[in-house]
Amino acid sequence: MTLVKMLRAGAFAVALGVAATGATIATASAQTLTVGVRGGPESMDPHYSALGVHADAMKHIFDTLVWSGDNLQIEPGLAESWKPLDDTTWEFKLRKGVKFHDGSDFTAEDVKFSIERIPVVTGPTTLLIYVRRVKEVVIVDPHTVHMKTDGPAATLPNDFVRLFIVSHKAAAAYSTKETAPDGFNSGKATIGTGPYKYVSWEPKGDLVLARNDGYWRGKGPWEKVVRKEMPNDSSRLAALKAGQVDLVNYVSSADWQALKRDPKIDTFLADSVYVMNLQLDQREQTPKVYDLDGKPLAKNPLRDPKVREALDLAIDRQTMVEVVLEGLGTPNNQLMPKGFFGWSAKVPARSPDPKKGKALLAEAGYPNGFQMDLYCTSDRLPGDGAICQGLGQMFAQIGIKTNVNAISRSVYFPAQAKKEYSIFMNGWGTLTGEASYTLGSMAHSPAPELKLGAFNRIEYSNPKVDELLQAAGRELDDAKRKALYEQAMDLIMADRAYISIVTLQTVWAADKGKLRMSPRNDEDTLAFFITPAK
Amino acid sequence: MAGYVIQRCLQAVVVMFVMSVIVFVGVYAVGNPMDVLIPLDATQDVRELIIARFGLDRPLWEQYLVFVGNVAQGDFGRSFVYAIPVLDLIASRLPATLELTLAAVFGATFIGVPLGIWAGYRPDALSSKTIMGLSILGFSVPTFWVGLILILTFAVSLGWLPAGGRGPTVTVLGVEWSFLTPEGLSHLLLPAVNLALFKLAMMIRLARAGTREVLLTDTIKFARAAGLTEGTIVMRHVLKLIAVPIVTVFGLELGSTLAFAVVTETIFSWPGLGKLIIDSITSLDRPVMVAYLILVALLFVTINLVIDLTYAALDPRISRGAAS
Repeated sequence: MTLVKMLRAGAFAVALGVAATGATIATASAQTLTVGVRGGPESMDPHYSALGVHADAMKHIFDTLVWSGDNLQIEPGLAESWKPLDDTTWEFKLRKGVKFHDGSDFTAEDVKFSIERIPVVTGPTTLLIYVRRVKEVVIVDPHTVHMKTDGPAATLPNDFVRLFIVSHKAAAAYSTKETAPDGFNSGKATIGTGPYKYVSWEPKGDLVLARNDGYWRGKGPWEKVVRKEMPNDSSRLAALKAGQVDLVNYVSSADWQALKRDPKIDTFLADSVYVMNLQLDQREQTPKVYDLDGKPLAKNPLRDPKVREALDLAIDRQTMVEVVLEGLGTPNNQLMPKGFFGWSAKVPARSPDPKKGKALLAEAGYPNGFQMDLYCTSDRLPGDGAICQGLGQMFAQIGIKTNVNAISRSVYFPAQAKKEYSIFMNGWGTLTGEASYTLGSMAHSPAPELKLGAFNRIEYSNPKVDELLQAAGRELDDAKRKALYEQAMDLIMADRAYISIVTLQTVWAADKGKLRMSPRNDEDTLAFFITPAK
Repeated sequence: MAGYVIQRCLQAVVVMFVMSVIVFVGVYAVGNPMDVLIPLDATQDVRELIIARFGLDRPLWEQYLVFVGNVAQGDFGRSFVYAIPVLDLIASRLPATLELTLAAVFGATFIGVPLGIWAGYRPDALSSKTIMGLSILGFSVPTFWVGLILILTFAVSLGWLPAGGRGPTVTVLGVEWSFLTPEGLSHLLLPAVNLALFKLAMMIRLARAGTREVLLTDTIKFARAAGLTEGTIVMRHVLKLIAVPIVTVFGLELGSTLAFAVVTETIFSWPGLGKLIIDSITSLDRPVMVAYLILVALLFVTINLVIDLTYAALDPRISRGAAS
């Protein structure tokens, strides 16, 4: 703090009768990292929620069995190695010498306990999807476990990037729906193997952590970490500029433009896992498409490949990124961000051609266009509402009168689940970094018995795609599986029932020269991997 | 008087009952809360399992009866999002909102009323005109904007005060308060000022209008004729005569600020109730919404009751009128 600032602070304090305001505003010593985060955890129980912000906080206290790196590539975590033994068994070799915060040893018992605990304690944002394939956990020796699955589960290691390991001793008494929140929120059961120990937490408030000096990856750079939940984007940034926090996440695109020119701030940019996808209902009859007078159409125009191509040709992705997102995104032509497992280089780049779009509409029998209601979320991801408005204008240019409805996710998702919409857009995050997660949920025809197509809300069905996805799910060889997913991706994108628009990007901001971080694709802000610049 | 209080309490029960029905039906009409909370990629069997676990597969009337049964035993249920009992969740946020609201409303009243009386007492003085001019600003500038400007000025540019958050707390009587430490006070100052501005303007205008009216009455003329000093007249007579509308507004403002200080709380990252309820609405966390709104209804009924009792104390004619 400069002398001038101190004098001013002192004068102000005297004037108001408030003592020592100046001294307290300064950021605490370099040994403390204070982070302003947009969202915080929902509980201190790592098995309660699958939400990204929840996992972000939990990764400080607990370790996952399999680690996901900066670009979501899978790496050894608490498991040192893994291999399939046969079609329904995976062997995981556990890391030796790892200790929990209370000094007890990490063993196979804890892995078994953690997996079996999830179905009992998980909340509505459920983690079940990450362990649903496991039928039985067999302890072979204290550092070897065999996972018996309900069929060939090629992506089991990917699923386990969200499998947090709790201590089977500390959490034993806190593993029912009623006792778990109390045990974990009070800190009694919040015993992990992670880089930081739990100190205190308040819902929607601060999470305070202290360094675990015996961490197996080595000692973390910060003695103390405070994660403050600040949901308002402007306030979070103001707190950074006022020196109250050292680092903030989710800088908005408008602020980012200004920060790039600010000499006192460093920004860190990463592609997120989120892709904005337009989804076109493929049912025979669809509710929200009309003729120009507002009367229902005899058949669903969105089933016509020409209409779908026309819609795609109407979208100017470059403009969307530059104007609507102010540069904070990259145009995308498929359901996953570039480079993820199953991303296909063969999907042709999309360029806008409204004239051709109009011609295609005429060929399809709609020379004057038609009318439709477009629905999108407006409060879930950065820019979702604005992209929706942009789409509406672009569709209008090829003669489709579009009524834009950018609405709250609390209204959007229930209605979308009931299939009340015809054409709608929301983001999808490929959280596991590979295709089975995304394509299996969205592009396979709805098949509850196979546990596939759970988020296929447009009843898209291509038998060839189904076949490829099922074959890939059984294929344990990585290279062959990758090829199968790429083929499936080519077919899905050529069908254009899903039209991908942009990959969103995420920005962090910190005081200039204060710290170094490598931004992660999954948007986590992990204190252990953030180092002081000096 | 006892009968009057009992009647008010019965009214409160009815209001709270209606509130719970409205929220239940309202959330049901928006959609199944689980569609917002369950991950998008959950398979159908997982989805059904979770919905059944929270009892949301049952018909609405059955869910409502279960809820009423639990409330009768003092259990408002657990939050869908946080899994902890709703009352604990609300209780953990209440002190923060309470101290912010009390600081704002009392501050506005104790500063606004004297300024208003002065402006009414000397309507043509330059100071009065300045006060009235500034009060128009307080009315017309939106809260969120003032909040951001306050942060920009005092936290970012000048660096005098923190930009948000609540600061350290001290536990007194089992409750955590931040206004007892200098640092806590420095955190409280900006949001309290932000929240108080509108109320301050309103108090000034109310007090001024009342004072101007009262000064023309016979009471004041006779008091002056009796040789009372101007100070005594203002303190003893004017203040008492303008008190009834001010107390009314004070009560209503206290209630509405307690319940809906959300804009200020969001901008200043203040961990209060407003943020809790907004988050609960966006995630359709029904147990929290129901419990919160029922408690807000209770709060308003209580405040109105206290106001009515205060009237009777301030102006004996009111209670006599009620009796006859």
